[in-house]
Amino acid sequence: MSEPRRWSPARLLAFVVLAAWGALFWFMLLGGRSSLYLSNRTRWLVPTGAILLTLAALGRLASARTAVPRPANRSDGRVAALMLVPVVVLFALPPATLGAYAASRRSVTSGGGVSAADISSGAITYFDIASALGNREAMQALTNREGEQIVLEGFVTNQEGDATGEFFLTRFLITCCVADATATEVRVVDAPPGGFPDNQWVRVTGAMYPVGADVLIDAASVETIPRPADPYLSG
Amino acid sequence: MTVRSDDLTAPAVGRRSVVLVIVLLAGLAIALRLAEPERVPWLQNFFIVFGSLLIEALPFVLIGAFASAAIEVFVPATAFASIAKLPRPLQLPCAAVAGMAFPVCECGSVPVARRLAQRGLAPGAAVTFMLAAPILNPIVIASTVIAYRGRDTFWVMVLGRMALGFVVAVAVGWVAGARNAGDLLRPNPDDQDEDEDEDEPRWQRFTGHLGTDFLFMAKFLLLGATVSAAIQTVLPQTLVTHVASLPVVNLLAMMGLAFVLSLCSESDAFVAASFTQFGPSAQLAFLVSGPMLDMKLGALYAGTYSKGFLRTVLFAVVAVTLAGTLWISVVWG
Repeated sequence: MSEPRRWSPARLLAFVVLAAWGALFWFMLLGGRSSLYLSNRTRWLVPTGAILLTLAALGRLASARTAVPRPANRSDGRVAALMLVPVVVLFALPPATLGAYAASRRSVTSGGGVSAADISSGAITYFDIASALGNREAMQALTNREGEQIVLEGFVTNQEGDATGEFFLTRFLITCCVADATATEVRVVDAPPGGFPDNQWVRVTGAMYPVGADVLIDAASVETIPRPADPYLSG
Repeated sequence: MTVRSDDLTAPAVGRRSVVLVIVLLAGLAIALRLAEPERVPWLQNFFIVFGSLLIEALPFVLIGAFASAAIEVFVPATAFASIAKLPRPLQLPCAAVAGMAFPVCECGSVPVARRLAQRGLAPGAAVTFMLAAPILNPIVIASTVIAYRGRDTFWVMVLGRMALGFVVAVAVGWVAGARNAGDLLRPNPDDQDEDEDEDEPRWQRFTGHLGTDFLFMAKFLLLGATVSAAIQTVLPQTLVTHVASLPVVNLLAMMGLAFVLSLCSESDAFVAASFTQFGPSAQLAFLVSGPMLDMKLGALYAGTYSKGFLRTVLFAVVAVTLAGTLWISVVWG
């Protein structure tokens, strides 16, 4: 080592960006926000990302003193600033999920991962219904159990032309992340009067009737609930 | 390594701009808290989709950057030179099959392919590997199986996706491979500026390449995620269903949809399966072209490869996918 080692501004800048993203991933993990963005299958990415980003940041910091330091130029600065914007946005954003607005523009679920055999026994879940939409065998298995009492949790979407006491109960099915969400809608009839606003999370109890390609619930009770910890159905 | 002359003249980031950026970022955070985005549904929708695309794709890019930095620092360059001696008709299918063993989404395979080409693998083989890995890897095949289970079109979709993915990857590798690596790759300015001295221990060089590769890829990913989230927010997905019955147009429409949605190849089968108005050929067009060509990949390619490459990939992927799916539509509808 002939030359003395000094801090390299370019490397320090890279460290700041990596550390900020690492902090964001730890925040997602420890703050329980992974379920707002990723499905069960891909949730391992959050701890993995947190650890790898931390390692990468520490590595960059540990090697930030060098014999030939390079100043951070404007282009480095612009990239770093740009990369920090999403970090700030995702830190500041209050926890939120897709709602009625997205339900009106996304495609509708057609088949989840549950087989017809699984549907024929046990309590009927929202995921069973998502699997039955668009899959004939699964729908047949569901039809064999028509009239059974079921309990479903989802949020309300009101569509034009709905009669009083009717709304759609909606839940999004995601496979990897929210970007691939498809809407699973169940028509609820005989809901208590007064109406429920869009995006209100509710628990509906009632008798289930498959009608053609749709599923209908004759509501015995509709109660408002807070948003569940796992707002998306994971495929 | 010598420092390029324009680095000496390029103005360094001043203290004032650092303070300005910090103030602007703090302002953004406060504005977001005060504005209550839940009152503006489209804005909230945009942020959620944008965030989820980034949170899912960034770790994959990082894993790719780890693999890429490891190749650079730990694998001797001669290893790839010996593969490059194989005749080209043999290299490309081998590269496509090698993709099977690399279970990451498309975002992770881009930095690895770039590094492989830099290290002396034939550029065509690197491109074939990059395009094949996101379609042929076991996780993607498994998710396609689950998405189409119990349908009449099950075998057409699963085998069709694998076969057509293989053919398109090899064909595009063949076309793109006519150039040499120097013409194909766009230089990463940070690679040259990297104030690396060869005396540094290996782990330091590793962290250096890791950091630059990640930042290099991540800024293009950021661009792709922004545009894709905006389009997902504005454009109703049901818009394309009007053209479902028009031949050829339906194939192009589904390719266009795959392009703008920028889905991960591990999940796109579930979205494709939801377009029940479209026949298997149009759904295959979506499933084969999407993992090779979409908004976020377009941004990654534009940053990684020379200008002509994006155009070559665009035309080659669309042409070969169209030809393949047309044949399938003749046989299966």
